Amino acid sequence: MLAGKGFKHVYNVSGGIKAWHAKTAIGPQDLGMTLFSGKESPLDVLTVAYSLEQGLQEFYVTMEQEAKNAAVKDLFAKLSEIEVKHQMSIYTAYCDISDTQLSKEAFEKTVEVKALEGGLSTREYLELFNPDLTSETDVISLAMSIEAQALDLYQRVSFKIENQASREIINKIANEEKVHLASLAKLMDSL
Amino acid sequence: MKWMQFFTPAKSLDFNEAENYIAQHPGEQITILDVRQPSEYQDSHIPGAVLIPLPQLSDRLGELDPEKPTLVY
Repeated sequence: MLAGKGFKHVYNVSGGIKAWHAKTAIGPQDLGMTLFSGKESPLDVLTVAYSLEQGLQEFYVTMEQEAKNAAVKDLFAKLSEIEVKHQMSIYTAYCDISDTQLSKEAFEKTVEVKALEGGLSTREYLELFNPDLTSETDVISLAMSIEAQALDLYQRVSFKIENQASREIINKIANEEKVHLASLAKLMDSL
Repeated sequence: MKWMQFFTPAKSLDFNEAENYIAQHPGEQITILDVRQPSEYQDSHIPGAVLIPLPQLSDRLGELDPEKPTLVY
């Protein structure tokens, strides 16, 4: 149907989604979309993205405090450090295009954390993926699921964003999420 | 869906090949099109996939960019 309607490169993916090895995303197509109105400026996009990273980083810190197993505790600390780096990269991008230079602390005061990366709350993620929080493999798998949800959300949101520069930022963040996912896969392989 | 390959010029990729293809292309340069039913999409989908159930596809083709490589499942 597509090839007959002028679509130049169409690939039929065969074998059913169960053959997909990488993380899949879940939820309806509008999941998390209310976090973005579609009218955001590039600075607004970065502020929302920062808030999502912040939510996830705080989640990992809480989980680190709650974890009983030393290896899992270390793992949550490592995941939390990774999120701090992601936040830093978003803050740097914000400073690069903002006319007013805000300190990181002042910038954080403008950020309202409503959800974690991917647009779900902590409780929703835990209920959905139900990880064994004493297992390093389960913890990384949870982190990978969250990154897959984030990648999915940013790619869906890019269709909604009207401003071209804002859309390019969303696409860049989405591509970074792909890299994050690949890094977590490596971390999983190293266990 | 396998019969389609005999009637259209579309190439076939298995999910393994599709994973590699998606990993090598920035998300904004390709379209991943999920033509299953909404409940199947909700249970599990490739991150970034656009949902247009097969029965609606012919009426909603205008939502897609024909210039972009399109992976359909």
